[in-house]
Amino acid sequence: MDDALLAALAHAAGLTGALAAFPADVRAAALAGSGFAAGLAPQPDPAAEPWPPMRPREGA
Amino acid sequence: MSAPHWLGAAEAARAFAARTLSPEELLRALLARIEQLDPEVNVFVRLDAEAALAAAREAGREIAAGRVRGPLHGVPVGIKDIIDVAGLPTTCHSAVLADAPPAGADAAVVARLRQAGAVIIGKLSTHEFAIGGPSFDLPFPPARNPWNRGHHPGGSSSGSGAGLAAGLFPLALGTDTAGSVRNPASACGIVGLKPTYGLVSRRGVFPLAFTLDHVGPMARHVADAALLLDAIAGHDPADPGSRPAPGRYFGSQLRLGARGLRIGFVRHFHETDTPATAETAAALEEAARLLAAEGAEVRAVTLPPLAAFAAVNRVIMHAEAWSVHAPWLRTRPEKYGRLGRQRLLTGAFIPAGAYIDAQRQRLQLIDAVDAALRDHDVLLCASSMDPACRIDEPDMIERTYPRQARLPFNVTGHPALAMMAGLSSDGLPLSVQFVGRCFEDATVLRAAAAFERAGGWQARHPPLG
Repeated sequence: MDDALLAALAHAAGLTGALAAFPADVRAAALAGSGFAAGLAPQPDPAAEPWPPMRPREGA
Repeated sequence: MSAPHWLGAAEAARAFAARTLSPEELLRALLARIEQLDPEVNVFVRLDAEAALAAAREAGREIAAGRVRGPLHGVPVGIKDIIDVAGLPTTCHSAVLADAPPAGADAAVVARLRQAGAVIIGKLSTHEFAIGGPSFDLPFPPARNPWNRGHHPGGSSSGSGAGLAAGLFPLALGTDTAGSVRNPASACGIVGLKPTYGLVSRRGVFPLAFTLDHVGPMARHVADAALLLDAIAGHDPADPGSRPAPGRYFGSQLRLGARGLRIGFVRHFHETDTPATAETAAALEEAARLLAAEGAEVRAVTLPPLAAFAAVNRVIMHAEAWSVHAPWLRTRPEKYGRLGRQRLLTGAFIPAGAYIDAQRQRLQLIDAVDAALRDHDVLLCASSMDPACRIDEPDMIERTYPRQARLPFNVTGHPALAMMAGLSSDGLPLSVQFVGRCFEDATVLRAAAAFERAGGWQARHPPLG
């Protein structure tokens, strides 16, 4: 992850201050987070529901 | 009678009833042991000796008058310091909350313990905000493993596990989002149960990841874990993750033994997915052999690979944790320790779509575990793939922490219990894990009790003063 992308992502997350003070920690977190997201297997069923589902409420 | 500090909760209750020991005498013996040993094991963030002594005296008076509230009456319990105890600050072992005001109310689980007459002895060490690992840059030192103080005690419920193994209290509460009750149970050679999701209220517990968080009982004996679960389980409308569940008396099956139990042995977790040490694998095989010898039917069973569960758990946990900590990480990141800061920042870099995809895959993983449990009463599998490594070797901690098979059941919500299954050649605890159907926590405890009797490991204690 290059410095410009890291800075853009950190800025978008409101972490400009954290990046300035702890650049190594923010970089490690960014690498971990993007790696975790990329590590998910592809979802084979486009209609699969998430868990937990939205909880239906009682009528008024 | 055992030395007071090795008494279990059930034994203590019997001694109180027989008038051979009073709650105050037990507590004073424990306080003396805490004074002697806690500087070596760093179990307590805050010891609340005066309030505990007052509660123990009151319990003694009530028991003497014949007003026994139940089996935990007068029994000391330690509380992980992310769980609110009225009148004490909840620091989450972090400088972020080091100056937090005292909690205004007990967490639901603590309130239930007080109703049961338990004595709250103090607040216990954890990893910072229940994530990260043992850290030396926090306001309190990390807990250490009583079996070898140079080794870590597992986490994040570190003080709960270490304090039980050291004989500082007979019961403790921990929390478990990716294995944090069962990891210290495995590393310290005690019993830790992550109950079914929804069985125990999380109201008044600082969240790590809402859809993965559980509060669980920790003890030195299976029967004591069942008693503690009896006290803390129950529907709480104020916790949106709580649901009404049938029945209590989680120890009702403890004497049934293993005969007739259908046990699915998940070998691929520790043989091919994340290969365990030879000693850990041998302990698992021995557990299967002992349970079969006791009359259980043990068969191999296959679940999705550990990596599939881990991928889903990491994305959900970090995304949810980020939503909790974002305001503080944006404004005062310097208040966190390095490990906690790194871990909690991770979710900032996980796209929303990945979080939803993880929650969609979660349902498929739940279905897979449910399917395995249709043909089996419980599953047997690894908990930790290694005994605890040294506490002062960050690279080893980083390498061994993910080598576990606990997080699958945070993803799926099934009840899961870890307990001691032997000692390594270095004298450190080895462990196994039992998993059951949702809301059949009593069956998990039954299997664990059968193994406890057959294996005999829960009678072993670390070499302390």
